[in-house]
Amino acid sequence: MDLQTKKENNAIVVTISGRLDAVTTPEYEKKIRELIDSGDIYFVVDFDQVDYISSAGLRGLLLMAKLLNAKGGRLCLANVKGNVRSVFGMCGFNTVFKIGNSVAEALAVIA
Amino acid sequence: MVLKDITTEIKKGEIVSIIGPSGTGKSTLLRCLNLLEYPTSGSIYINGIDILDKKVDVAKIRQKMNMVFQSFNLFSHLSVLENLTIGPIKLRGMSKEVARAKALELLRLVGLAEKTGNYPDELSGGQQQRVAIARCLAMEPEIILFDEPTSALDPTMVREVLSVIRRLAKEGMTMAIVTHEMDFARDVSNRVLYMDEGLIYEEGTPEQIFEHPQKEKTKAFINRILSYTCRITSPDYDLYAMNAEIEAFCDKRILSKQTRYNLLLLVEELLQIYRPYLSRVALEMTIAYSEKNECLELICESAGEKVNPLVRENLVDDLGLMIIKNLSESIDYKWSDGKNRLQFVIKKTPLEG
Repeated sequence: MDLQTKKENNAIVVTISGRLDAVTTPEYEKKIRELIDSGDIYFVVDFDQVDYISSAGLRGLLLMAKLLNAKGGRLCLANVKGNVRSVFGMCGFNTVFKIGNSVAEALAVIA
Repeated sequence: MVLKDITTEIKKGEIVSIIGPSGTGKSTLLRCLNLLEYPTSGSIYINGIDILDKKVDVAKIRQKMNMVFQSFNLFSHLSVLENLTIGPIKLRGMSKEVARAKALELLRLVGLAEKTGNYPDELSGGQQQRVAIARCLAMEPEIILFDEPTSALDPTMVREVLSVIRRLAKEGMTMAIVTHEMDFARDVSNRVLYMDEGLIYEEGTPEQIFEHPQKEKTKAFINRILSYTCRITSPDYDLYAMNAEIEAFCDKRILSKQTRYNLLLLVEELLQIYRPYLSRVALEMTIAYSEKNECLELICESAGEKVNPLVRENLVDDLGLMIIKNLSESIDYKWSDGKNRLQFVIKKTPLEG
């Protein structure tokens, strides 16, 4: 997994590529914690280049949402598609998270 | 590889598959039959003629008994058509017109009539091997020896070659086939020879060898080749190493991208659920695929106390279980002989979300 961040207006756009699984999610959680601890509370997570997610990755997203809720932050996901979207659907995550069709749409949701 | 005490008979029209671990003499046996290797002792009879007799015309024998090699061995400087006609013209004295007509007929048989003018390096591996089979047939052999005809091929091309061999089998060609394609060997053969340590260790009908092998080494080989088993003895297992082995298994069985995605996800979810137990008990995970039923199964076995790890009270949350249920056609838990056994039949269809 590779994780890139960039600031867009007030929000952080997190772009993940590769796999979000039991091996990579701890690293994802660590980076997200660092960002939230440094004061960022508006996030868009771009899934365009994620080709695999397991329940470990879903738990990472739940943790992120929990940390942001505690700080009054906002989170919207973008470009969740294919098998990743199916895994979201299996666990009801399509309704738990706000999901935009693009990063721009997701940024508008949390604005 | 040295062959010892090999005694067998292949009858006209019979299809004999030769299976066994690498380096146990399977290809050497075929090469001896075709006199590409010369046995130091013994006799090989074809239609009652001892082909090891020094007076025998080897070229004539090879016309009766042709061979298809793992690496195709086509003439790269000749077109597909020329590859098929050169043998009949030079060795059998066939006229160019007759050889050409025969070659076209054979290329149609292997589905490559439109490639007559192409050169071997313009064809895929599967197409080259089909040309090699057609070239072999052009010599009108009575017997064909196949030496691992699909092992140099990309998994996607294996089927096209096997279907050509199946067609020859239906037409009654006498064939000896060294193969690692076990489902193919089971379906196509009248008889299977299992070779180990340079001898025919066990032989029988496909049912005898694949369903009821009698000897230990045959049993171990059959179990290993038709399934993938790994033993996980620590919570710090290497997921990616396992994934690579599972992918290699999926490649061999030519499983679709979706099926392997489902399988890898199921394996990861199960390993996460088993993780708390792995410091105390080992987990044996077996993946088995039946080509006949196109059924992919995953079996988890663990000793220790009787416990079904999928029961809700044993889980941290429901996420893994929800995914597992979605990926499985059926889930069956059993406790027998002191072992917990969970068996899954995996869905082949795209995931539902």
